[in-house]
Amino acid sequence: MSVDNYRSNYTFAMDFGTSDFKFGPITLGEQPRVVNNRGYFPDKNSVMYKAFEATSDVIVGDDVPLYLQSAEDLSSRLIYPMRNGVIERNDDQAWRVVQSLTDYGLASFKPQPNNGFQGYYVVVSLSSVSPRYMYEKLMSAFLENNRGMVRAVTVIPQPFAVAIGHGVTTCVVIESGHGNSQVCPISKYPIRAAQVALNRGGGDANAIASEILKDAGYSDLANEEAVVRKVKENIGLVPENLDSAIGEAKRSPRRFRARYKLPGTRIEIDLEKDSWSRFLIGEYVFNPNHEIFESYFNRGMPRPRDVKMGDTVFKGMLDFGGAIVTSVERCPVELQPLLYREVLLSGGNFSWAVPAKLQDMAVDAPTKVKSLLRERGIKNVSVKMTNSPQFSVWHGCIIYGFAIPENYEWDWQRLEGWMKVPN
Amino acid sequence: MGGQRTEQGDQDPGVSFQLGADKVHVLILKPEDLALRNTILDAVLNLSAVKYTYSLVYLAAPRLFGASVDATVFRTHGIGLLLYDERRIDEAVPAQPMQTEQAVRNDKSVLTELATLKTMYLDMERTISQLRDDLNAAHNLHTVREQIGRIPVPIDVITTPDSYDHDPPHGGLLPSYFVNNPWLDVLSKRGNGEREPIAG
Repeated sequence: MSVDNYRSNYTFAMDFGTSDFKFGPITLGEQPRVVNNRGYFPDKNSVMYKAFEATSDVIVGDDVPLYLQSAEDLSSRLIYPMRNGVIERNDDQAWRVVQSLTDYGLASFKPQPNNGFQGYYVVVSLSSVSPRYMYEKLMSAFLENNRGMVRAVTVIPQPFAVAIGHGVTTCVVIESGHGNSQVCPISKYPIRAAQVALNRGGGDANAIASEILKDAGYSDLANEEAVVRKVKENIGLVPENLDSAIGEAKRSPRRFRARYKLPGTRIEIDLEKDSWSRFLIGEYVFNPNHEIFESYFNRGMPRPRDVKMGDTVFKGMLDFGGAIVTSVERCPVELQPLLYREVLLSGGNFSWAVPAKLQDMAVDAPTKVKSLLRERGIKNVSVKMTNSPQFSVWHGCIIYGFAIPENYEWDWQRLEGWMKVPN
Repeated sequence: MGGQRTEQGDQDPGVSFQLGADKVHVLILKPEDLALRNTILDAVLNLSAVKYTYSLVYLAAPRLFGASVDATVFRTHGIGLLLYDERRIDEAVPAQPMQTEQAVRNDKSVLTELATLKTMYLDMERTISQLRDDLNAAHNLHTVREQIGRIPVPIDVITTPDSYDHDPPHGGLLPSYFVNNPWLDVLSKRGNGEREPIAG
């Protein structure tokens, strides 16, 4: 390996997550900077816009809250470009937000003059289901808007970055975010042909939590996304076996009672005798096929459907166990046992609490996935969370940018390598 | 060996001697003093007043005095008692060595010095503890560097840009997720003739 003194200073990574944009150079060490992956298009006639003398059409980063106006404007002006991991080819607003975020990220780490800086080696991570045009548009954005800050750029899939950051060369990575989940086998390279995408993520857990709140008499709160998310995070549980958990919770409602007080308010949510429903929130993410969910679908809660985004079909109702098995069985037979030995879970949608008093019924995400695989006859399996669920993608991008040879040029067939930026 | 008489003040009714390192003071009662009750009392009180000025103090009295006095009193106060007649002098009660005022002053300075030494010792302990921590940190740093260096690939020349010769701002240290990471070796070989899959 060539020890590259320059790249030990000037490797730069950008992780475009569904909610957050994590970015920064290698010199940040363990943690990148984090801002929301969103942009705001202000009304240029507004007093706030004129008062802040903003010259940009898109506001990103920490300044966004300063420009937010009425709630009615939010849906049209506040854009989350990658809520589903994929940006439509012709979604100009979303692409402008991405451009602004890359500019913002690089500008945040402009090196001092006269220290030998000749541009960063930038590694960008995208969802593994990103179609080729997303790579093209992102590369174009760097080529056209260099401003001397970028020497070369490359793009890698997020699960691949997770495997690199975790330090495992043969594994299955399951990345689950707000809008969707991806199952990706890795064996020194991403095995793209074996990837399986699910049209299910943290947003679906929010949806079932919202229905539960309505049933419990909190209809007004059920429409506020921030409240629903907090309720999900604080009372939602993952059962190892849903039927057993519901039975036990109904027999001992006091032990399983779900109560949560919203911080900074007098509002307290108490599911009382319906506290058993807290297990539905976690179960729905991992396996929406239980018959109990049919009543919610019948009442209007959207059933996760198979959708095609870009080049990929996202499965709606496939459980995580089935997704992993499907993905692994697309790989060479000799590789399959090795892949089952290292199953890595990454993403905020796998962060589930297990209260000490409820450990007999509630489990964490790795235990649940193992249970689902066991139901499908897969027993010799190791499932674990990544070392740093929040930053493993960014870590992997930094290592990739540091280690890839400088003369490894970008190739549109293999979708790897450095795209040199002319200065 | 023998004492040497020392000078004493006019008001000092006894006889003083320098006996080696000890200063000895003897107050002598004459036979006619025994008839005067206050004289004996006065003599004992005088000795009590000066006993810290000398190492040893004695009351020398005629042997007749010894029959009427309780030696315990002298022992309690550390005052020696010498009884004499025409033939000889006997030490009826040995004097207890007294800590002189000078000795007390010296003791106080010793205590102060001890306190100072104790403070210095504590400071030194703290410094050594800090040095120990710094040494451990430096050792750990060396270990991490060794581990990175153990990645089984040859170290080659520094690469692009050619003109770059600045030191890394963070001291050349790589983050923890680099340590023992097999991907460094795998990725460094990209494009070196290995068979690569088509992304598809």
